[in-house]
Amino acid sequence: MYYLTNTLMIEIQNLSFGYKKRKLLYRNLNLKLEAGSIYGLLGKNGAGKSTLLKNFMGLLFPTDGTISVNGYSPKKRWPSFLETIYFIPEEVYVPGLTIDRYKNLFSPFYPSFNEEQFNSYLDQLDVKDKGKLNTLSFGQQKKFIIAFALACNTKVLLLDEPTNGLDIPSKIKFRKLIASIFTDDKIIFISTHQIRDLDNLIDRVIIVDNGELLLDASIQGIAQKLCFKTVTELPTTGNILYAEESLKGQSIVIENTQHEDSKINLEHLFNAVTENPVLSKSIFQL
Amino acid sequence: MNNIFNAKRFWLLLKKTVLERPVQIFGFTGLLLALVLIMYTVAKTLGGFGAAQNLTFIWGLSGGSFFLASFVFGYFSSNASGSSFLTLPASHFEKWLCGVLIAGVLYPLIFLLFYRVVDSSFVIMYHHSLDPASPFYKQQYESVYVFPFTGIIAWKVYQMFFFLTGAMFVGSLYFNKAAFIKVSISICILVIGVVALNWLMSKLFFGNINDAGPLSHVTIPLGKEEGTIQVPDRISDAFNYSLWYIFPAMLWLLAYTRLREKEF
Repeated sequence: MYYLTNTLMIEIQNLSFGYKKRKLLYRNLNLKLEAGSIYGLLGKNGAGKSTLLKNFMGLLFPTDGTISVNGYSPKKRWPSFLETIYFIPEEVYVPGLTIDRYKNLFSPFYPSFNEEQFNSYLDQLDVKDKGKLNTLSFGQQKKFIIAFALACNTKVLLLDEPTNGLDIPSKIKFRKLIASIFTDDKIIFISTHQIRDLDNLIDRVIIVDNGELLLDASIQGIAQKLCFKTVTELPTTGNILYAEESLKGQSIVIENTQHEDSKINLEHLFNAVTENPVLSKSIFQL
Repeated sequence: MNNIFNAKRFWLLLKKTVLERPVQIFGFTGLLLALVLIMYTVAKTLGGFGAAQNLTFIWGLSGGSFFLASFVFGYFSSNASGSSFLTLPASHFEKWLCGVLIAGVLYPLIFLLFYRVVDSSFVIMYHHSLDPASPFYKQQYESVYVFPFTGIIAWKVYQMFFFLTGAMFVGSLYFNKAAFIKVSISICILVIGVVALNWLMSKLFFGNINDAGPLSHVTIPLGKEEGTIQVPDRISDAFNYSLWYIFPAMLWLLAYTRLREKEF
């Protein structure tokens, strides 16, 4: 049974998951995602990013614990649940159909599908109608599925490595498009290891490593608690989470005890959190 | 909203399933029917009408459905198509029913119709080719007749179809890749295993044996003669009923359960 909530929400309680029962990928993971945010899920290769998305979607079932997507249990894969959520896997599937044929066969399953938007998104992503979809390049196929998914207007959109296979102009168009379609009643959840592709797009960052949640914070929250700057010499006081040689000296991530304003570098943030999980968790009180 | 069955949604799913992969569904159905025609013609020339009718009926119905059943749930060869199939907003029951309808109902109906047309045409041509003035006309005429769909051979083939199609439905949901080959091998192993186990058990009980049919009979040598011990009718009937009706029905239903529990 599902219950009605005013705010769309994905809630994970004590989630444990493993492909083998003795080797769990996630252990007692707790997470709450609310509508009105674009989440960026960052993690190393094999950290379990796709696995987490598949659990949200009901493609994989938790070993223990519960997942609730707006009151639905994903593992039941009820049609009323599936028509409110769209998952774009890393490798997309397109059958040997034309764009029009695909739209006619697949869009009726999504009640909020909008044809005008679909055509507009195809235009914006520069997807041309050139015969059958399976003859298009991988990047074109991916852009086609992105346009279709966005036009379905589902409340939850899960994207697994969406920028893989896209050229640089397409990545920029993708970011613009996601930003333009986003509304407060949606959850967009993007998993990637190409951290730079999410710059200026996400407003909440989630970092997982070794089956553990290392960070779940808003961009503003991160800016308040961490400072990203370049220094000529490493400071002797304060908790330095990460330091990297750069042309102008050392780029560091340090605990923001002085309340300095700085621009977040997602790559440095990721390294800082994964290299100092204990310190990072204590700073963000996880 | 009904999360189990919705007629409109089911129609959309059926349309999508058929038109999404027209080459597999229409192409292979056409190919199977063409093969049936060729097989009938060749077998009739080599072995006569009886051989042609039996051979094409067995292969066309049980073999064709077995083959087609490997396509209807055959989305799991890649991560992308498997995810797309499982996340499409339709219920497990509708997805299962769609596959069952295509490989287990529509194809058999098309095949039976096609088979009847082909068989009748050949039989009519044969009857027309006979000389009514010949003293053997009546005998020759009556020796060839249209294959009866309610005869004992037809029923055996329906049972095979029921079993093999069910096995493929389940197999294609267990084996993500090369399901057709893997299920075929599994069935061969199962049959060989049952026959071998039965032989060993019979050998254990009776010592020297000539023949042993699983839950049917054991033939033992008695001097220069041999004798057959039959399994009592009640036990044999119960076994056959289970093997040809209950077990296949379980396979068809197991496919639904497997689809519901499928992780990908």
